[in-house]
Amino acid sequence: MSNALQLKNVSKSFGEAKIIKNLNLEIRKNERHAIIGPNGAGKSTLFHLISGHYKLTSGRITLNNKEINNLEPHEINRKGLARSFQVTNIFPKMSVYENIRCGILWSMGFKYSIIRLVNGDKKLNEKTDSILEEINLKHCAHIPAGLLSYADQRALEIGITIAGGADTLMLDEPTAGMSNSETERAVNLIKQISENRTLVVVEHDMGVVFDLADRISVLVYGEIIATDTPTKIRENKAVQEAYLGTEDH
Amino acid sequence: MTNFFKSFSTWIIVAFIAAILPLIFDSSFALTLLSKMGVLIIFTVAYNMLLGQGGMLSFGHAIYFGLAGYASIHILNGIGEETLPYFPTVLFPFIGAVVGLFFGSLVGYVSTRRAGTAFAMISLGFCEMVTAMTLIFVIFFNGEDGIQTDRMVGPEPFGITFGPQIEIYYLILFWCLVAVALMYIITKTPFGRMSNAVRDNPERAAFIGYNVRRVRWQAFALSSMFAGAAGSLHALNYEHIGFESVSIVQSGAVLFMAFIGGAGHFLGPIVGAIGLTYLDSTLADVTEAWLLYLGLTFSGIVMFAPGGLAGLIVMHGPIARTDKKLLISLIKPYFLAISSVVTGLIGLIGIIEMLYFRSLISKGEGEVVIFWTEFNANGIMSWLIFITLILVGIFLSKKTFPMAKESWDHAISVVKTEISNE
Repeated sequence: MSNALQLKNVSKSFGEAKIIKNLNLEIRKNERHAIIGPNGAGKSTLFHLISGHYKLTSGRITLNNKEINNLEPHEINRKGLARSFQVTNIFPKMSVYENIRCGILWSMGFKYSIIRLVNGDKKLNEKTDSILEEINLKHCAHIPAGLLSYADQRALEIGITIAGGADTLMLDEPTAGMSNSETERAVNLIKQISENRTLVVVEHDMGVVFDLADRISVLVYGEIIATDTPTKIRENKAVQEAYLGTEDH
Repeated sequence: MTNFFKSFSTWIIVAFIAAILPLIFDSSFALTLLSKMGVLIIFTVAYNMLLGQGGMLSFGHAIYFGLAGYASIHILNGIGEETLPYFPTVLFPFIGAVVGLFFGSLVGYVSTRRAGTAFAMISLGFCEMVTAMTLIFVIFFNGEDGIQTDRMVGPEPFGITFGPQIEIYYLILFWCLVAVALMYIITKTPFGRMSNAVRDNPERAAFIGYNVRRVRWQAFALSSMFAGAAGSLHALNYEHIGFESVSIVQSGAVLFMAFIGGAGHFLGPIVGAIGLTYLDSTLADVTEAWLLYLGLTFSGIVMFAPGGLAGLIVMHGPIARTDKKLLISLIKPYFLAISSVVTGLIGLIGIIEMLYFRSLISKGEGEVVIFWTEFNANGIMSWLIFITLILVGIFLSKKTFPMAKESWDHAISVVKTEISNE
């Protein structure tokens, strides 16, 4: 099976501190892959490295067998990788509708055009509507995004993430800070949108992780100590010692 | 389709009103004022492509306005002396646009690599640099005197010489409508939308595939282009250009107009340009302290209404849409709050005017006219009256403002429940 994402000997240091140490990771095409680990293990740093937010200290990252580790975030996005953030990251002053529509623009070839009108393009607006329907936010399409409830803002961010048609999605703690019912809704949405896509998710809620993931990687102090199916991870002694045993969940 | 027609008819009505204005106000003062407003509307809306639409605070946007003005004057003089081939006066804004676009692309390439504070600092640096150059490269800028020209050059199609001010006014009006319409359309393009997106959240914009620096650069270049077109018209209007047109003073003025009018809304800068140009022309004759009041107004807007005048109006939109009665219920508390502030302001203005008067006039004379009333600046009574007004204003504001805020909060909570019930 071919890999959507492959990380080889990836390291990242901030000054003296080595946050990611010689990390190797393979994400298969169309799998749902969860990355778990205690606080400070380097999960968010790993996300930032893959998406181009941070530059690697050493190593190599490939997306669909093409090297991406020296590219800018917008270039990586254009190659088919989209991500969400740990802290909600939307366009708060623009309407929900505009948020999604902006997420689509590049993938439909609009680029930096000053001669085409966004309202006049039928395909663009149909696509926007269909994504709004998918994330269940059609009823509040014209409200400024900043006024949405927290859970709806997270759903909107997932919408922006999938809008550009990327085949690899990375979600950073998509259910953090949600109530039980909100979490359930979010998990269903994530399951639905990750059909036929590759999903990499960082998550603290073990219920969500074991419900969602096909495979799990455990990151401890910048190193992956195990990658396996949920059942095997649960039984893994090293994981239990390093992580699951000490967690409050 | 109906929406399209609605906005289209608004344009026609505005154009019609602007076209008959000189027939109603036919004094030369009014005509000069209207021409100036037209030029500054283009400049302010162009500036707001950066400030409001793109989220870039520039302290040096007059560079492109002024340099385009210098270029236009040199070309006019060249045509007049027949060292340059004829170029139709009507099309001069294109010259300005090219000059603005050129320098905007150049400076923007450097300055838009940074955002926020660094961007603002760089813009200030360039502004000082160009201002200094006007005094150093005398051969092009002619130092503090600036350059004169005569706009009546070349052939006179249909007898239009662009000599009379009225002809220049209609030229400015035409280009003002064209430029503002173009800038409005640009807000509806993919670039315009992404410009807003980059303003709101550059990080997110990068992760949906857009090069944030490229979006900012393009906004900067386009904004400079329209500023340049305005600069050309400015030069035609005055037949003179001086170093102040590229300086921090002009850059600050356009920032004031955009911000006081309301940077967050497309119409805000237009309101600001019209309002401040009017006040600048009329109040400057009435009081020496006009700039002081402008500064106070600006500070007040920054602190209490960062959305500017347009923002204050727009924020009542949801209330008006939900329930007209709700909006009417706000009139009384607003009236009370505004009255108490005005009371205090009258007192403050009185004190400032008397202080100014005393610093300017030799001792002995004391009669000063404030608000069409004569006061004795040397008498204790005048001071007491104004100080009392300030104190009364403060006292009343402390009572009426919480009332106004309570009414506002109530109205907004009603709107919010309406929305969530939908």
